[in-house]
Amino acid sequence: MTSLQKLTTLARLLSLRQQSRTELVNATRNYSVFNPTYVKPVFRPEEQEALDQEEELKALSLLPIKPAFTDDTSSEFYDKQVNKFINFLMREGKKETARKALENTFENIKRIQLEKYNKATDPAEKEKIELDPRAILRQAIENSTPVLELLKMKKGGQTYQVINDTFHIQFEKLADDALFCCIKVPVPLTEKRAQFLGMNWLIQAGKDKQMKVHLSEKLAHELIDAANNEGRVIKKKQELYRQCEANRSYAHFRWF
Amino acid sequence: MSLVARLCERHSVYLIPSINNLTVVRSVTKARIPNTATSKTDKGKHYGFRILELIPKPPEKQQRIVKKIQALPPRMNQMAVDQDWTSVWPGQRTFHPATVPLPVRQGYPKKNEAPPSKYGNAELMKIPNFLHLTPPTIKRHCEALKKFCTKWPEELDTDTSYDKHFPLEVIYSNYCYSGPSIREPMARIVSFRVKLSNLTLDQHAKDKILRLVGERYDPESDLLTIVADRCPIRKQNYEYAEYLLTALYHESWRKEEWENEKTLADMEYYDWDLEQSRKNLVTVYAWPEIPQDYDYENIPNATEYKIAVSDLVNNGEDDFSVNKYKEAVKKIMFWKPDGDKPNEK
Amino acid sequence: MAVSQRNFIKLLKLTNLRQSSTAAQAMPVHEDIHQSFRTREDNPEYHGMQHINRIYTIPNNDLKMITCQGLITMYMKQFKTFAEASILVRKPAVEIISYLNQADYSKPVNKYVLYGEDGTGKTSTMLHTLHYAYTKGQIIVHVPWIRSWFDGPKETANSITKTNKIDLPFHAAAWLRNFKTQNQHILNKADIKLSATHEWSATENSAKDSSLMDMIDFGISRIKFASNVIIKLMSELKQASTSGKCKVLVAIDGYNALFSQQTNIFNDNKQMVPASQVSLTEAFLDITKSDWCNGQVIVTVDKMATKENAESHFPRYLLTNEGFDHLDPFLPISVENYTEDEFNTVIEYYKNRKWIRNLSSDGQKELQLLSGGNPYKLMEYCKHL
Repeated sequence: MTSLQKLTTLARLLSLRQQSRTELVNATRNYSVFNPTYVKPVFRPEEQEALDQEEELKALSLLPIKPAFTDDTSSEFYDKQVNKFINFLMREGKKETARKALENTFENIKRIQLEKYNKATDPAEKEKIELDPRAILRQAIENSTPVLELLKMKKGGQTYQVINDTFHIQFEKLADDALFCCIKVPVPLTEKRAQFLGMNWLIQAGKDKQMKVHLSEKLAHELIDAANNEGRVIKKKQELYRQCEANRSYAHFRWF
Repeated sequence: MSLVARLCERHSVYLIPSINNLTVVRSVTKARIPNTATSKTDKGKHYGFRILELIPKPPEKQQRIVKKIQALPPRMNQMAVDQDWTSVWPGQRTFHPATVPLPVRQGYPKKNEAPPSKYGNAELMKIPNFLHLTPPTIKRHCEALKKFCTKWPEELDTDTSYDKHFPLEVIYSNYCYSGPSIREPMARIVSFRVKLSNLTLDQHAKDKILRLVGERYDPESDLLTIVADRCPIRKQNYEYAEYLLTALYHESWRKEEWENEKTLADMEYYDWDLEQSRKNLVTVYAWPEIPQDYDYENIPNATEYKIAVSDLVNNGEDDFSVNKYKEAVKKIMFWKPDGDKPNEK
Repeated sequence: MAVSQRNFIKLLKLTNLRQSSTAAQAMPVHEDIHQSFRTREDNPEYHGMQHINRIYTIPNNDLKMITCQGLITMYMKQFKTFAEASILVRKPAVEIISYLNQADYSKPVNKYVLYGEDGTGKTSTMLHTLHYAYTKGQIIVHVPWIRSWFDGPKETANSITKTNKIDLPFHAAAWLRNFKTQNQHILNKADIKLSATHEWSATENSAKDSSLMDMIDFGISRIKFASNVIIKLMSELKQASTSGKCKVLVAIDGYNALFSQQTNIFNDNKQMVPASQVSLTEAFLDITKSDWCNGQVIVTVDKMATKENAESHFPRYLLTNEGFDHLDPFLPISVENYTEDEFNTVIEYYKNRKWIRNLSSDGQKELQLLSGGNPYKLMEYCKHL
């Protein structure tokens, strides 16, 4: 493959097209404007490198490629999980606001951790303090992501209704749920749903605050707590696990 | 009887309705042998009585035979190669294909065809031609006119001298039309162009005239252009432009009462000598004494400072002008008796 | 220091004035192995070209005194997080310090105007010079951000002495109090006496030859007269300085606000009052005149110092004709974006302070391109890394 070909392919992969995806997708048409033959763009430099080494670039160079999303960048500071978190944090499509909120959260995390770091006198103790806000976010998500969930099923009636509203259960109400005349069945989660629950619990905990407190301040504390395996979100997860444990005799209702 | 018959013969058409006894008439007609034939075809066949025709047939019209006039062959076929074209085409005239010995073609070509030829080509007749203004013709015109001309003045040998003696340039346009109307509205427009340096103006008058004319003055070429087009006729526009130029000149020389009240806020130009900056400089220099007059002659580097401030205000602020100002101020700020100049070290 | 001034008007409430006490805790920075991006010279008087592009740390005690009048929240936050108050030694600051060292103090005061685009570090440079003045034992007349007075003041009152003037008693008293804490040690030592009797009301006055400190105390306790006290204080300072009793450094941030036509101050007829009709303006215009010696005046002009939209960052545009005529001749000093060396130093410093970690050379390049070398923008981009 010549260098020129490689360059053009790279440029296409980076989707250096004039149109952005948001412009192309019309609000009234909820199907893609792109033919199914179009392939997804590869915008990360390391992925492009890998493709190049496997010599798949040449094949890609002959395919039509969709333009990249506006938040897909080849920047060094790009983090897929952070992007996902921003998307969950976003309300009413205000991505800019959500991004800024998370950036401020990161700033606060750094300030809190650095203060601890500077106060610590023992070098071993200093080593332990995590200063990278992204690592803290990753750890917090990992710690708060559940593996089980309770599904409500009405039993004994004519309908078997499955309600996916674990997300809406308040901490206090969990105990009262036994009064409802539906059975709660512990079910394992898919990876996607587990991630969704974990991230959203964190966001929910960050939003449960007084009016004067900024989301970024509260969320920073929640993330640090969750990363240290403590705090409200972890408590909530453990509470859920306890319930699942209690209801494990209903587990077979998943099949009946 | 014969009388009746004769009468009948003469007035048969009129008599018949009035006579009641038709038998009488019939007997009369039988009695006569027709001696005239109405048509050639009837000749020999009907030789009896003439046939009464109540509505006579119109005589057959003779078909008119149009004789085709033979067109003369195009005149150009007979033209000699060295003919005098001026006498063939002496004046302005619509294009004529037979007279012009050129294979001219004009018009929109059909597919895979050449443009229409000159014969019967209205396109060629529509456009104005200059066949009467060939170079030899013009040469002859000039020859003929020469005796009426005077000699070109020797002083006007260059453009510069021409500009000097005739500073005013009047521009108008004539238009040539082959349409039905020879009037062209654009022909009325008259422009006067004059170099501002040719007008006698002092500083105030020049400033004022520039403000009055606005965009009509081009600072690059120093030309003032007045365009008059509001009157319907060129002569009127010419006179109006003349009037405008005169009025502008005199108005710019006039100084009104209110012109003395202009300040820097009117953003004319920054005259350092009249501004606070000068007072500041002199006051700072004289401190702690209070200066009697704002004379800056004795202050070292004051002129440089003056230029720097004026440039800063008049030419606008940018890195260059601010730096210039800074350098100028540095020299005044750090005046020391031993002439020691500080450096940035 | 990498932080730069930004218009945090909302943050610049009076509460900030008290934040100076939240100065950083002592940190064993200098025990580290030799760090090439730092300079150990922490006396700004000796800062010269050899210290350029290095970080120097303001000692904590000095910082407390320098920032008596308060500082932008952003600075205090950063100082706290980094556990030290460090400033990058940059060319404009070194230039001013060299001028201050060389200036002839028997001549009328020299005026320096710091100008530059938003976020290039005008306030940092001013902080540097304030430290210089402090180490030299000069009286500091510092206004951290003039616009904070004109943007929604806590209290307004009609001036007692002058018609059509508006007093800001609360701000004036707060400023006096901070001025007192900042300069008490010098004022006590210099023992400045009043040159004339100042009548405040029918019963209250400050007698001639009484102490200047008494007048300041009077202004703090009777905030009704605080604005007038400041006006008199300025003229007294000028006279004391001219007579050689003390040296004064005037440092005013956002100086062009004094010539602003738009404020958030309203008079009794609910009409907006221009800055020129506020009595505090008079005081600070007075001290920036060239009719005294033994002092230096350093001001910044800022696009964000006024409510009006500013199109240019150049001094004459921002000062307007009036301000230019008032200040002229002054020395304009441009504060510009980081050079490559400065940028590298700041990144090194950030890494050292653990503010950013694991930054590759590509990442650094990206930051440089994103921020364009603008200190404030760089700080913004580094915040979340």
